[in-house]
Amino acid sequence: MLLPLALAILAATLLLTPLLTRALGRNSGWVLAGVYLGVAALLVPVAMEVWSGRRPEWSIEWVPALGVTFALAADGLGIIFAGLALVIGAVVLAYSARYLAPGRQLSFFLVMVLFTLAMTGLVLASDLLVLFLCWELTSLASFLLIARSGHPGEAASMRTLFITFVGGVFLLLAVALTWTRTGTAELRAVFAHEVWASDPAFTTTVAVLVALAAMTKAAQFPFHVWLPDAMAAITPVSAYLHAAAVVKAGIFLLLRFSPLFHDVVAWEVLLLGSGLITTFVGGWFALQATDLKRLMAYSTVSQLGLIVIAIGVGTEAAIAAALIHTVTHALFKSGLFMMVGVVDHATHTRDLRRLPPKLYARMPVTFAVTTLGAASMAGLPPLLGFISKEAVLAATLETPGGAFWPWAVFVLTSASAVLTIGYCVKIVLGTFVDGPDHRRRVEPSDPLLVGAAALPILATAALVPVVGVLDTPVARGVTAALGGGGDDTHFYLWHGLTPELMATLLVLAAGVAIALRRRAVFRAVAARRFPFDGERVIAGLTNLLRHAGLWTGRLTGADDAGRQVLPVLGSLAGLGIVGTVIVADAGLPPQRENLSRPIDVVLLVLLTAAVVGVCVARIRLGAVVALASVGILATVQILALGAPDVALTQLLVESLSIIVIMLVLQKLPVRFPVRTRRNNLITLGVAVAVGASVAGLTWALNARRSRSALAEYFLEYTKELTGGYNVVNVILVEFRALDTLGELTVLGMAGVSMVAIFSTVRDRYLDPDRPDPAAVDPGTLPLRSDETSTAYRAITVAWSNTVPLHLMVRLVTPVLAIISVTLFWRGHNSPGGGFNAALVAAALVGLIYLSTSYDRSVGPPRLPIWLIAGGVVVAITTGLANLVLKGSFLQPIHWYIGELHLTTSLLFDVGVYAAVLGLIIFSFNLLGSTQESERGEATRERVDESAEGELAGPLETVRGERPGRVAVGSTFLHDDEAPREEGSRWS
Amino acid sequence: MVLIATIFVLVTGGVYLLLQRSMVRAVFGIGLLSHAANFVLLTSGVPGWRDEPLTNVSSTYTAADPLPQAFVLTAIVITLAATILMLAMSVIGHNDDMYRHPDTGESHEA
Repeated sequence: MLLPLALAILAATLLLTPLLTRALGRNSGWVLAGVYLGVAALLVPVAMEVWSGRRPEWSIEWVPALGVTFALAADGLGIIFAGLALVIGAVVLAYSARYLAPGRQLSFFLVMVLFTLAMTGLVLASDLLVLFLCWELTSLASFLLIARSGHPGEAASMRTLFITFVGGVFLLLAVALTWTRTGTAELRAVFAHEVWASDPAFTTTVAVLVALAAMTKAAQFPFHVWLPDAMAAITPVSAYLHAAAVVKAGIFLLLRFSPLFHDVVAWEVLLLGSGLITTFVGGWFALQATDLKRLMAYSTVSQLGLIVIAIGVGTEAAIAAALIHTVTHALFKSGLFMMVGVVDHATHTRDLRRLPPKLYARMPVTFAVTTLGAASMAGLPPLLGFISKEAVLAATLETPGGAFWPWAVFVLTSASAVLTIGYCVKIVLGTFVDGPDHRRRVEPSDPLLVGAAALPILATAALVPVVGVLDTPVARGVTAALGGGGDDTHFYLWHGLTPELMATLLVLAAGVAIALRRRAVFRAVAARRFPFDGERVIAGLTNLLRHAGLWTGRLTGADDAGRQVLPVLGSLAGLGIVGTVIVADAGLPPQRENLSRPIDVVLLVLLTAAVVGVCVARIRLGAVVALASVGILATVQILALGAPDVALTQLLVESLSIIVIMLVLQKLPVRFPVRTRRNNLITLGVAVAVGASVAGLTWALNARRSRSALAEYFLEYTKELTGGYNVVNVILVEFRALDTLGELTVLGMAGVSMVAIFSTVRDRYLDPDRPDPAAVDPGTLPLRSDETSTAYRAITVAWSNTVPLHLMVRLVTPVLAIISVTLFWRGHNSPGGGFNAALVAAALVGLIYLSTSYDRSVGPPRLPIWLIAGGVVVAITTGLANLVLKGSFLQPIHWYIGELHLTTSLLFDVGVYAAVLGLIIFSFNLLGSTQESERGEATRERVDESAEGELAGPLETVRGERPGRVAVGSTFLHDDEAPREEGSRWS
Repeated sequence: MVLIATIFVLVTGGVYLLLQRSMVRAVFGIGLLSHAANFVLLTSGVPGWRDEPLTNVSSTYTAADPLPQAFVLTAIVITLAATILMLAMSVIGHNDDMYRHPDTGESHEA
C-alpha cells in the first residue's frame, strides 16, 4: 500500500502547490523538499523489502475494457531511481528556495512536482501503458520547465520537445508491438513470455526501438542536441534534469528492458557504439565550451555515454557499474550544477571569459566543494567517482566479442577519460583561478544556497568509507536489470593493481599535463570546430518540413473559386457519368408514365434562352435581367409541378434577390471582367460534362417508383394529426420543424456573418476612394445642361424619380401588410406560412427603401440583429416549451377556441418571420450604403452601427476589439500613438 | 421527362458561370445550380402526380409528394441567405475580380 500512497502524496502535493506558493512564495521550496524527503522515508520500508529479495506490488483496474491496470511494483531498479528523483529533488528544491527571485514562482514549483511525480511513476510502473504515460509526462514536464524561461528558451524547448517526442513515438511502437505480441501489458508477464526466445527478429526490432527511445532521453549521439539546449532553463532545473530526472529516465528504460535485450547483438552494438561516440563528442564539446552551464551540460552527455557503454556490455559487473555510476553522477552533477548557480549569483556571469581572477580566495567554500565534485567526476581517488569509474572501466573488459573488442572498448573508454579530466581541470582552474576580468564585482553568497548545493557533493566523499552500504541496493538493482543474479556485487576502494588502475594513473598523468599546459590545450581544442552542429541540423529539418507544407498548401492555395471547385466538379462529372452508365447497364425499373406536360417544353425553350442570356451577357445589368427571367420561369415550372407554396416562396425570393443584386451592382464596374475564348471553351466543356452527369443521374434514379410511403402518410394523416390542410406548411412547422429551426438559424447567421466579415475590413478598403466605375457623367450626355430640362433632372436628381413610387407605396403598404398577415395566418391550411409572410413583409420593406431618394438605414440600426436574435430565441423557446409540456422538442400543442384553431407552431412561425425579415433588412442596410450624398453612410459605419448603435463614423477595428476606442484614420497600430476616443472622421 | 433537359441546361449554365472570373457571375451560377437542384429534388417526388398537396383541394391519389416540396422550400430560402452573403463578399473593395483580389489591408501567404 505504500507504493500508491507515495504517488498519491505527490499527486496531492501537485494540486496543493498553487495554494502553497500563494502563501509562502519561493520558500515553498523548503516545504516541498520536506514532502519529498517524507515520501522517500515512506519508501524505506518498501526498499527494505526489496533488498531482502521480494517485489512488493499493487494494482487497481484502470480501463477494464482494454485490460489496462494501474499496476505498480518496486524492485531494485525502481528503488534506486525513485530515491534519486526524490532525494536529489529535495536538495534541488531546497536550493531553489534561495536561488529563485522572491515571489510566487508557481510554474516552476508546479512543473517540478509534476516532474517528480512522473519520474516516480515511471520507475515504479509495472504496466507498459503506465510506464509509457509517465515517460511522456517527463517529456512534457522537461519541455515546460525549459519553455518557462521565456524567449531564449523558445527554440530550445521546441527542440527538446521534438527529440523527446520522437523518442516517445519509438517507445509507443515498442509498447504496442510488445502488447500485441504478448497479449499482456504487465511487465513480469511480458518478460516471462516465450516470444522473446522464439522470435529473434521481433526481439531485435523491439530492442532497437527501446534503445532509440532511451537514447533520445539519455541524450545519446545523435540525439544529444537537446541536452545542452536545456540549459536555457534556470539552474535548479538543469541540476534536476541532468542529474536525477529526464536523462536518468533514459538510463532507467535501458536497464528496465535489459533483462530481455542484454544479449541481443543489435542492442549491444547500438549502445556501445553510441555510448562511445557520445562520451567523446560530449567530452570534446565540454572542453570547447566557455559557458559553465554549457560545459556542465556536455559533461553530462559524456558521462551518460559511459553509463550507456556499461549497459551495452550487459554483464553483472557492468550493470552494477552502470548503476553505481548513475548514483555517483546524480550526486556530483546536481551539486556541480548548483555550484555554477552559486558562482552565477555571486558574479552575475557564468562565462569563463568574464569571471574575475583568483575567485578561490573570494569564494573559498564554493571553490573547495566544486573542486571536490570535479575530482569525483574526473575519477580521482579516494572519491566515489573513482570507485564508479574504475567499475565502469573494469566492466568494459567484459565486452563480448573475442579478444579484440574488450580491449578496444577499454582503451577507448580510458581515452575518453582524458577528455573528462581535461574539462574537470577547465571547470576548477577556469572558474576559480584563470578568470580574466579584473573589474568584475563579487557579491557574498547566501550560506543556505551554498549549503544546499554542497550536500550532494559532500555525500560523494562521505560515502567512500562506508561504500559497502551500496552493495545490497546495487545488487538488487542488478537482479532487476538482468532478471536474476547480482549477488557478487561489492565495492571497494582498493582492488589491487588492475588494468583499470593503470589506466586511471595514466589518465591522471595526462590530467596534470593538461593542467600545466592548459592555455595551449584549450586554445587548440577551441580552434577545432565541427562544420555543423545538431542545432543547425534540426533547423534544416524544420525548414524542409515547412517548405513541404507550403508546397502542399500551394496546390489549393489559389484564391479564385475556379481552381478550388474544378476538382470537385470534375469528380462529380466523372462519377455521375460513369455511375449512370453502370446503373443503366444493370437494368432499371421502368420510368413512370405521364411525367411531362406540354408546358414543360415551353418552359424548357424559354429557360434555355434565358440561361444562355445570363451566360453570354457582358454587361452586368443584362445578366441580371436574364437571371430574373430564369427565376420567373422556374417559378412557373414549380407551379406547374403542383407546388404553390414553393412557387410563392420562389417568386418572393426572386424579387428580393434582384433588389439585393442591384444594390451590389451599383458599386461594381458596368461590365464583367473578360477572359480568353480558349478558357471559356474549356469551362464550357466542363460545364456540359457536369450538366450531363447530373441529368443522367436524374434520369436514372428519379421517377422510377410509385408514390413514396411517406407521401401517402403525410397526405393521409396530416389533417387528422394537426388540423391543417396544407401539408407542405405542416411539414415545415410541425413534422420537420427541427429542420426549419436549423434553416432560420442559417438565415440569421448569414446576416450576422456579413457583419462579422465586413468588420474585419477597414473602411478605406471596404469602400475604396476611387471614382465610381458605374457613374455616368451627366456632362457627357447629349442633353440641354440646365436645371429646367426634365430629362437632365431625371438623370441627375434622384428625388424626382422616386415621386411615383412614393405615391404608390402609400397605397400599397396597407395592402401588402394585410397580405402578409393573411399569409401568415392561413399557412396551416392554404399556401402561405411564416416564410412567405415574412418575404412579403420584406418586399414591403424593399419597396419603402427604394421609394426614398437617398439611401438610409431601415429602422433603428440594431433592428435586424434584434429581429434575428429574437426569431431564434422565440423558435427555440417554443420548442423547449413543447418539450416540457408535450415531452418532445417542437411537437406543437393545439387548442380550439370555438372554430378558431390555435397551435404553438404559429409561435414558431413568428420566429421564422422575424429571422427572415432581419436578414433582409440587414442586406438593405449593409449593401445599400453609399457615400454619394452628404447624408450617406459608409458600409463600415453601417456594419458597426448594426452591432453598436448610432456612431459618428466607422470604427478602425479589424479584430473585434472593443469599440469606442479607435477612430477611423487613427495610426495607432503604426506608430503607437494613443488612439482617439469614439469613432468620428478625421477631418 | 422534359425536366431532365431543363436540369441539364441549368446545371451547364450554372457550372459555366461558376468557373468565371467575376464573383458576381459565380454567384449567378450558384443561383442557376440551386434551381437545378430544386428540380432534381422535385422530380424525386415523381412529377406524374401534380396536384397541389392541399388535402382539402386535391385527392390523396393525384396530389404531388409534399416532402420534396418542403425540402425545396427550405432550400430556396437558404439559397437566398447564401446568395446575399456571397454578394456581400463580392462587393468588398468594389471589385469582384477573383483573379485580382482587392486590397483589404491584410496580406496572406499564397
